[in-house]
Amino acid sequence: MSKINPSAKSADNDAGNAVNNDNNNAQDARSGAGAPMTLDAVRAQLQGVKGKKFWRSLDELADSPEFRAEVEREFPSAAQEWLDPVSRRGFLRLMGASMALAGLAGCTKQPDETIYPYVKAPEDLILGKPMYFATAHPFPTGGVPLLMKSDEFRPIKVDGNPEHPYNRGGSDPYSQGTLLDLYDPDRSKKVTYRGEDREWMDFAQALREKVQESKDGTGIYFLSATITSPTLARQWQAVQAAYPKAKLVQYDPAIAGTYAEKGINTRYALSAADVIVSLDADFLSSASYPGFHGLVRDYANRRKDPAAGMNRLYAVESMTTTTGMKAEHRLKLRASEIPAFAAELAKAVGVAGVQPPAYAWTSEQQAFLAALAKDLKANAGKSAVLPGMYQDASVAELAQAINAALGNVGKTVFVSQETVNPLPSDQIADLKALVADLNAGKVDWLVILNANPIYTTPADLNFASAFNKANIVAHLGSHMDETGQIAHWHVPAAHYLESWSDVRAYDGTVSIVQPMIDPLYGGHTAHHVLQMLLNDPLVSPYDAVRATWQQVLAKNNKGDFELGWRKSLHDGWVEGTAFDTAAKANVPAEFHGSVPAPASQETLEIIYRPDPSIYDGRWSNVGWLQELPKPILNLSWDNAAIVSGYTLTKLGLKEDDIVELNVGGKRVQAPVVVAPGHPDNSVTVYLGYGREFAGRVGSGAGFNAYLIRTVNAPFYTAGSLRKLDGKWGVAITKSHYQDHRGARFGQQGSGDNSLEADEALGPRGIIRYATLEEFKVNPNFAHEGEGRETPESDTSLFPNWQYNEAAWGMSIDMNSCVGCNACIVSCYAENNIAVVGKQQVRIGRDMQWIRIDTYFEGDLAAPRAHFQPMNCQQCENAPCEQVCPVGATVHSSEGLNVMVYNRCIGTRYCSNNCPYKVRRFNFLLFSDYETESLKLMRNPDVTVRTRGVMEKCSYCVQRISAAKITADKENRPVRDGEIITACQQACPAEAIVFGDLNDKTSRAAKLRANQRTYQVIADVNTRPRTTYMAEVLNLNPELEATPAEHMPAKG
Amino acid sequence: MPQIFDRSSNALARMSLVLSGILVIALGVTLDQLQRSPWVTRQGQRADQPVPFSHKHHVQGLGLQCQYCHTTVEKSSYAGIPPTRTCMNCHAQIWTNAALLAPVRNSWATGQSIPWIKVHDLPDFVYFNHSIHVNKGIGCSTCHGRVDEMPLMYAQNTLQMEWCLDCHRNPAKNLRPTSQIYNMAWEKPSQDKPVWCSAVPGESGVPTADSVSCVTKDPATNAAAAAALAPPVLLMKAALTSGGAQGADPSYTKFTSQDALGHFLLAHYKIKTPQQITSCDTCHR
Repeated sequence: MSKINPSAKSADNDAGNAVNNDNNNAQDARSGAGAPMTLDAVRAQLQGVKGKKFWRSLDELADSPEFRAEVEREFPSAAQEWLDPVSRRGFLRLMGASMALAGLAGCTKQPDETIYPYVKAPEDLILGKPMYFATAHPFPTGGVPLLMKSDEFRPIKVDGNPEHPYNRGGSDPYSQGTLLDLYDPDRSKKVTYRGEDREWMDFAQALREKVQESKDGTGIYFLSATITSPTLARQWQAVQAAYPKAKLVQYDPAIAGTYAEKGINTRYALSAADVIVSLDADFLSSASYPGFHGLVRDYANRRKDPAAGMNRLYAVESMTTTTGMKAEHRLKLRASEIPAFAAELAKAVGVAGVQPPAYAWTSEQQAFLAALAKDLKANAGKSAVLPGMYQDASVAELAQAINAALGNVGKTVFVSQETVNPLPSDQIADLKALVADLNAGKVDWLVILNANPIYTTPADLNFASAFNKANIVAHLGSHMDETGQIAHWHVPAAHYLESWSDVRAYDGTVSIVQPMIDPLYGGHTAHHVLQMLLNDPLVSPYDAVRATWQQVLAKNNKGDFELGWRKSLHDGWVEGTAFDTAAKANVPAEFHGSVPAPASQETLEIIYRPDPSIYDGRWSNVGWLQELPKPILNLSWDNAAIVSGYTLTKLGLKEDDIVELNVGGKRVQAPVVVAPGHPDNSVTVYLGYGREFAGRVGSGAGFNAYLIRTVNAPFYTAGSLRKLDGKWGVAITKSHYQDHRGARFGQQGSGDNSLEADEALGPRGIIRYATLEEFKVNPNFAHEGEGRETPESDTSLFPNWQYNEAAWGMSIDMNSCVGCNACIVSCYAENNIAVVGKQQVRIGRDMQWIRIDTYFEGDLAAPRAHFQPMNCQQCENAPCEQVCPVGATVHSSEGLNVMVYNRCIGTRYCSNNCPYKVRRFNFLLFSDYETESLKLMRNPDVTVRTRGVMEKCSYCVQRISAAKITADKENRPVRDGEIITACQQACPAEAIVFGDLNDKTSRAAKLRANQRTYQVIADVNTRPRTTYMAEVLNLNPELEATPAEHMPAKG
Repeated sequence: MPQIFDRSSNALARMSLVLSGILVIALGVTLDQLQRSPWVTRQGQRADQPVPFSHKHHVQGLGLQCQYCHTTVEKSSYAGIPPTRTCMNCHAQIWTNAALLAPVRNSWATGQSIPWIKVHDLPDFVYFNHSIHVNKGIGCSTCHGRVDEMPLMYAQNTLQMEWCLDCHRNPAKNLRPTSQIYNMAWEKPSQDKPVWCSAVPGESGVPTADSVSCVTKDPATNAAAAAALAPPVLLMKAALTSGGAQGADPSYTKFTSQDALGHFLLAHYKIKTPQQITSCDTCHR
């Protein structure tokens, strides 16, 4: 709390006392410890608590005995125990042998290694130096322009193209994860026909003959994933012209039915928006929202310097997302209430013709609506309203009308005539028609292109039974998935990093997708398949893509097509293809459609969303993404029935209980998990799990939500829920990594509380924020108040280090971070981090070097959340270094806490002593040394760690070394910005800045000198090199004044 | 009951105590020596290569420059093993039927690599960079020995960490002018063989190799030779500053010991301090 706000401060102290008292009471009442935590206890904890009070999980909030026991154990149970039963005798025998060998361990003789030089070396290759190539990740919500790092022509790192006008180097977890998808050892490797091996030409010939036989294409059907490639669209149009009766159906489970299927042509320039309103638009969570990269960057840019004018985000949402948690003001509504709310908002801002359905809004909702409408009108022309993808069609239209009414169109909102995806279609209607034709026996050949309809189609379509009525089904896919298993023909698909194609980014810019590597398993693409039906069947995708852009590129370059082609390959985009922002589309500020009325309060709504990690299931077998803790929930390896705390209590459930979800008689079993702030009486389920034939990683994880999806209500529907016996065993990483020395060092809290978590018990200043008004009065708020002192640098027994050259440091802007997880996946790829599997995650052995700590604040039902990326803080006075008995973690001359893996003997003292809990131990042999394809993927500059070795974030020391060597050879210091860490590179919000703190002109040094910058747990005198910039919230004073108590009445 | 051991066994007991102590020490010493022995380090061992390639013949005999084959030594961490094509540049013309070269021709015909055995094999957790060493005045022969006198390639040094650190703690004792990097016969300066060096004053941003020029003949008496050995950039600068007049003496300093030369180069090549280059993250990641 800042000095300027004494009342808040005392309130906070009161809160602390209240909590402590409650603890005592609660513990008296539950003297028999061990009783599972109930929500009542949580509620009791929160009763009367006001002010800033942070918590990370329900257990922590309740400060339950179980939580305390966990804290005392430091890691989740069993994380540090020897699991295999070993007898005392056996143990002694083993130990005796290892003692005898201990001295000899260093004497192992290296085996002979062979060098295989090239026969003819490629001309421009310098072995040991990576090369970079521009390409793009074709994604149905718009391509993601990429710059690939390639070592010896093996792509080893995916990153955003830093020069591309759309994403400016930002990327997302999906794009990052596609690297492991390329090297997935479970990709299909052979063309098969009824299970027997065939060649590609056998398939091509069979298909070509069949189509020619049909004369006009009758009975030939193509079912494709959403077509993103203009060239593929052109090829399809040629096929259509030659065979007019052939049919193309596009279907993507996360696109069908959304406004995106009609073609994305609305763009939002959030850099010019002072007020942003999300109508269930989860634009800060993942690339599943069109334009994610650009939206995040523009949103974050307006929050980097609060003094220069901040934006204000309002979120109205039907589940807890990072967008809602980042919002200044959030209103949770059930999914079916959102169209009606949008209509009310449209009416309030003056959209003509809109007739909101009658509904009894609560006073809080009315207050929110009034304040929101007032703020929007005050910021007409400087605001933007974003509609959710997974909402009724009326929401997108209403948002458009609101934007038109406010005069935003042409200023913050741009509507183009062209669309990002070249062949917009009504995917659901087409799919239904296809099923009807299948059932009517009209389908002779069904060719499935990169889709998995057996798994992804809504269950009530009975696609599998219709499927069998086709004469021949051919499946082009990267995996032998659910569809590939039962298709007659299966053809391995080439990955986008293996093939030529093209794609448009969200802003319309065309990127050429160029291959980074020859197809590992001889895969083919949809380009090959469609071209096979034309008169010139052997035109390669390369030639086809060149033909598509021949004219545009020749025109752009004064007739020199080759120059233009090379330039667009080099730059990563085709000049002059972005949508025109100058042309102002005529968007009427009126709405005459119908708005569905909200379902009754007592209806249990089931909401379907693509998964933030594995999307619609296409990346099920990508271990990085499976293990990624989902934002808000920190759930890995599973999806869940996500409910609010109130709904949990009402249904008599506890977290991790197995429930049965029932939608129209279709049933599926799921674990139940609470998301703070989730609307009551609704259940969110993520799609993409419960796969049968995903591969060794993804098969069997989670439950299949497609089984309860219906074709007519793909986003939310009414259902029911029933408790079953037993526990599911979800892996939630939330309460990992507690520490228990708060009392000893900080003299705060109740004595054995966790450091990381005891924001809940007393001010530790881990999360610091102020409102914009507070910030304006006192810009130094982050350094004033209890728990925010930083000791003098000579307060230590150890002499201070001298840093004569560089002193590396990192600044993380909490105001920009949206908790999207891109940094974590990027770190996986850069640092060869191992995937450990669900059971190991459950016992706290996940290996991610950076995690996103989510601190919830306040009310369980309507919390605010703060996202704090936590990696090694590279302390100058590092507790880990002081306890290592073998000097395996030591201080570098530039202030890094370096790990020397070959010295580490695995005592784990360093991890015990780390207050930030950022060290990761290889309890088992987690790294895969065997699988050939994964060897190609590894970063050659980073050691692959073996069992028994501690590891942690190194600030990407391999990149620091490379930059230092380059600079040193040129006799100059390392330039600011020359070293970019992997997390920084991936961050779409540019929240992470790395640099030399000794160079006072560097960005990192300037940010460190910023008044908002603070150190986490600085009071224990670790002197961390990673610093955080405190949040500033631009609250609407009208809404700020009315904090509501959301706890439902007991019982 | 008679005693089992008579008094003489006391001496035995004492001796065995001493002996076991000695044994333990001996074991320790043995292991220590074993670890440093060529049996473990392969120092000096000639591997059984598919082609008995002679560096002596190619370097000393034919005068091939190191970089003709090891092309990336100045640019990359990896010096580079030549592709078969490099061999065939000549051996398509000469010794075209030599039995010894059958594996090379075979590789060229089939497109399969020649499987060389690695002679200098660092552990996988060590990240060595050739380019920074040759750019900062560590010559090939400093680590690899007189390769030009090796009919069959072997490792001159142990490549163990103590050997690396020996130099990283005091790089001055091995530095030489970058113009002499590929000179196999380079000798440290002495009273008999002094070295004269001159430095480009206070320039930053020029490559290290261009910041100093050195000669082994007295520039005062042999200006032409000095010019011949100086890097081209310097020549151009000298030409510009002296109005084209060759042999203008840019204040050369005479060095008669490696220590003096090493410290001169240490300063001008901006070699990092021992504290910095012995930091663990220099080689381990």
